[in-house]
Amino acid sequence: MITLVKQETFKLLHKKSTYAVSATLLIIMTIFGVLTRNYPKYWGDPKGMFVEMFTGINWIVLFLIAACSSIIAMEFQYGTIKELLYRKYYRGQILVSKWITMLLYSIYFFALCFVWSMLLKVVLFNDKFKLTDTFQSGYSVIETQWLGIVGSFLTIWLVLSLVLLLANIFKSTAAAISIGIIGYFALSIISNVMFLLMHRWEWLKWNPLNMMNLSQQLVSSSIHKMTLLSTPEMVIGSLVYTAIFMAISYVVFKRRSV
Amino acid sequence: MADAILNVEHLNKNFGRKQVLKDVSFSVQTGHIVGLVGPNGAGKSTIMKAVLGLFNYSSGNIMIDGEPVSPTSHKAMDKVGALIEYPGIYPFLTGYQHLQLFSKESTSKDQLMDIVDKMKMDSYINRKAKTYSLGMKQKLGIALALVDRPKFVILDEPMNGLDPQANKDLRTIILDLAKQGTTFLISSHILSELEKLVDDLVVIDKGQIVYTESMANLESGGKKLLVLQTSDDTRAKEILTQNGYQLDDGDKLSIIETDSTKMADVIKLLSDNDIEIEDVQHVHSDLETSLLNLLKNDKVKES
Repeated sequence: MITLVKQETFKLLHKKSTYAVSATLLIIMTIFGVLTRNYPKYWGDPKGMFVEMFTGINWIVLFLIAACSSIIAMEFQYGTIKELLYRKYYRGQILVSKWITMLLYSIYFFALCFVWSMLLKVVLFNDKFKLTDTFQSGYSVIETQWLGIVGSFLTIWLVLSLVLLLANIFKSTAAAISIGIIGYFALSIISNVMFLLMHRWEWLKWNPLNMMNLSQQLVSSSIHKMTLLSTPEMVIGSLVYTAIFMAISYVVFKRRSV
Repeated sequence: MADAILNVEHLNKNFGRKQVLKDVSFSVQTGHIVGLVGPNGAGKSTIMKAVLGLFNYSSGNIMIDGEPVSPTSHKAMDKVGALIEYPGIYPFLTGYQHLQLFSKESTSKDQLMDIVDKMKMDSYINRKAKTYSLGMKQKLGIALALVDRPKFVILDEPMNGLDPQANKDLRTIILDLAKQGTTFLISSHILSELEKLVDDLVVIDKGQIVYTESMANLESGGKKLLVLQTSDDTRAKEILTQNGYQLDDGDKLSIIETDSTKMADVIKLLSDNDIEIEDVQHVHSDLETSLLNLLKNDKVKES
């Protein structure tokens, strides 16, 4: 298994896009940092910007959706799936090695984003606020950021498990990427309608889109009234949905003829 | 059969309702080069994929070196190298990185360079594969199949896109490895190339095995002809028939050779009758002819 993860990492590290994406992330975060410092009127509260890691979290979602769909779909696209599968390893191992690689990649992105946001804070906003200042609902700035990171990590993996499944079914990146992105960002568009429907039919609170509110619920004291779920219920809900999507992926991948 | 590296027994496979493999059984002897031939869509790639554990099959047995092979049983694959259909290549990696990626950890750098050298890929091995031509990709695919020095190598249409020199190089490599004990199962449409390589032949048509024999047997089964060109073919045919020679059908004047056929007798007979001989040729039926006859006469009917 370690060999397989190494091989997946080898491929990832030899793609130019891997480096381009990391560089892009840092550049965008820096731009938002500088804008917030120079034009706080238009770009909002520096604390708020820091908490969402200078928009880094949103970009991570995009990059990880692309990476997850391509780590599966590229093997079909390049015809390398046969070379991967005819070896002594089991199919399940091949798929799991890809998941582990993406898990490591997502941890890398969050770490990079966190370190860079700290750096931007020290360089650009050292005199503006302290990490221990109260932000909202009694949480400090740094606590809010960490709760946000934990929440987004869980919800991002809920989306990624779906993207991994779709890439597996459609063998193409396009479908998986579009549905992943729409799924993640659709929430803000349809959440009002969803909340309304949930008040009418309460069981709808268990729908996967509602789980995507997790990171907001972690830092806010009131949103649970909208989501109708307690925080532990939401955490478990996200994990269960992720597990279900992964399990379907596993079955599809194992039964596929190539 | 104790020394068979591959044993396929009663293999059946359906795609939906269409049965693509029907009770396929054959074996591959260790150290032999076996050709798998048949018309397009006969099931060659399907057999190879099943042997590599890429396919579920409805029923049957596949054993490689005594170990069962199926999509859930891949242990035997450690001894196998393969190129199926077309080489799978990552455009963002160089040829050398492909070899690093897919070779075992026990395979040394010298072994990597050895196969690069043998396949004459030195000049572009460190270039990104997206710049490769069809033939270069094909060579890389073959190199990937051979790099770990597996006991059993499966090559599907390995000559695809190779130039004549590369073709000859590949033949040398395969024959060398076979001499050292590597077993090959090779499919190809280029029968004239295959003929120079294989020891045994497995012929498949419409998902069924129609022939498994050694090459020598197939060749000896064919007719040998003495083809003549004379100043008067029509009269020559008459004279030869009258003298007990068997003639082959067709426009050309061709005598079916038997052990007692002597060219000198034929020449003398014709020149005694004032027929000038302009050209004489011995024609052995080659693999292509034998195979086409075989497929034409085979009893497999579309079901």
